Amino acid sequence: MPRGKNDFYLRYYVGHKGKFGHEFLEFEFRPDGKLRYANNSNYKNDVMIRKECTVNVCVIDELRRLIDDSEIMQEDDTMWPPPDRVGRQELEIVMGDDHISFTTSKIGSLVDVNTSKDPEGLRCFYYLVQDLKCCVFSLIGLHFKIKPI
Amino acid sequence: MASADILDYEADDIDMEEDGEVNFILDNSVLDGIVRMKEAAKRRKGRGFASEGTTKTEIKHYEGVEADDEDDVAQKSVEGWILFVSGVHEEASDDELRDKFSEFGQIKNFHLNLDRRTGFIKGYALVEYEKRSEAEAARVNLDNTDMLGQIIRVNWCFVQPPKK
Repeated sequence: MPRGKNDFYLRYYVGHKGKFGHEFLEFEFRPDGKLRYANNSNYKNDVMIRKECTVNVCVIDELRRLIDDSEIMQEDDTMWPPPDRVGRQELEIVMGDDHISFTTSKIGSLVDVNTSKDPEGLRCFYYLVQDLKCCVFSLIGLHFKIKPI
Repeated sequence: MASADILDYEADDIDMEEDGEVNFILDNSVLDGIVRMKEAAKRRKGRGFASEGTTKTEIKHYEGVEADDEDDVAQKSVEGWILFVSGVHEEASDDELRDKFSEFGQIKNFHLNLDRRTGFIKGYALVEYEKRSEAEAARVNLDNTDMLGQIIRVNWCFVQPPKK
């Protein structure tokens, strides 16, 4: 497995525990290209969707570009709202020498971002997460012919 | 149909020892690799490193798509073959890209995603054909070609899992 400058790992989780069990969305890109996707809810006795596939290097390279352009690796979650009863989000990225593991509450809209203690950092997170989800939903949706959400 | 347990597993994942002990076969080498990579990182930031840590969903089994031909580098998707296009210009038009790719076969699915903040093209696309030969032709002919002054790269989107 390539190490050093080529290291790459990405994991995103958003979820909460409530009336319909532990409802969450999670996806993970591993260094060997494996993408794992899980979406769980017990709403109306629904079952968990668990899918995995292996993406080509070009996809990982594009993710690196998305992450670089967002400048999320320069941010810090210290001033972000902590996870709470409503829910939590987790973003963990390893790129080269940097390893971030951010946690925060769910973000309802830009209003929540603009009224937080670090609007610029949280905005960066907010849009990156949307771009990542967009990419993952396309990958998983087309590969497995399912509509993830 | 019974609802799936988070700790769902298949018979293949269980390794029965002679004295009846059961060990789950985890892909340890990959997990070790990930742990080592994380430890090698020089700079760490974030609340996820604090005592509360991050959520462990601990899902044991994920479903994949079986390979038709195990020697092929490309992996077939459920209903076709998908290419990943990168280097797409932010002002590229949906129609223009579709036209280029339509030359090699009927496009079954096409995703040209937008940047969620700016509304411009994010820079990548997914194109699906029904036949491998159509996708191969598009890949070979369009990879490293110019579009609006930028070079686009066209490659298989999904590949076979790395051999253990």
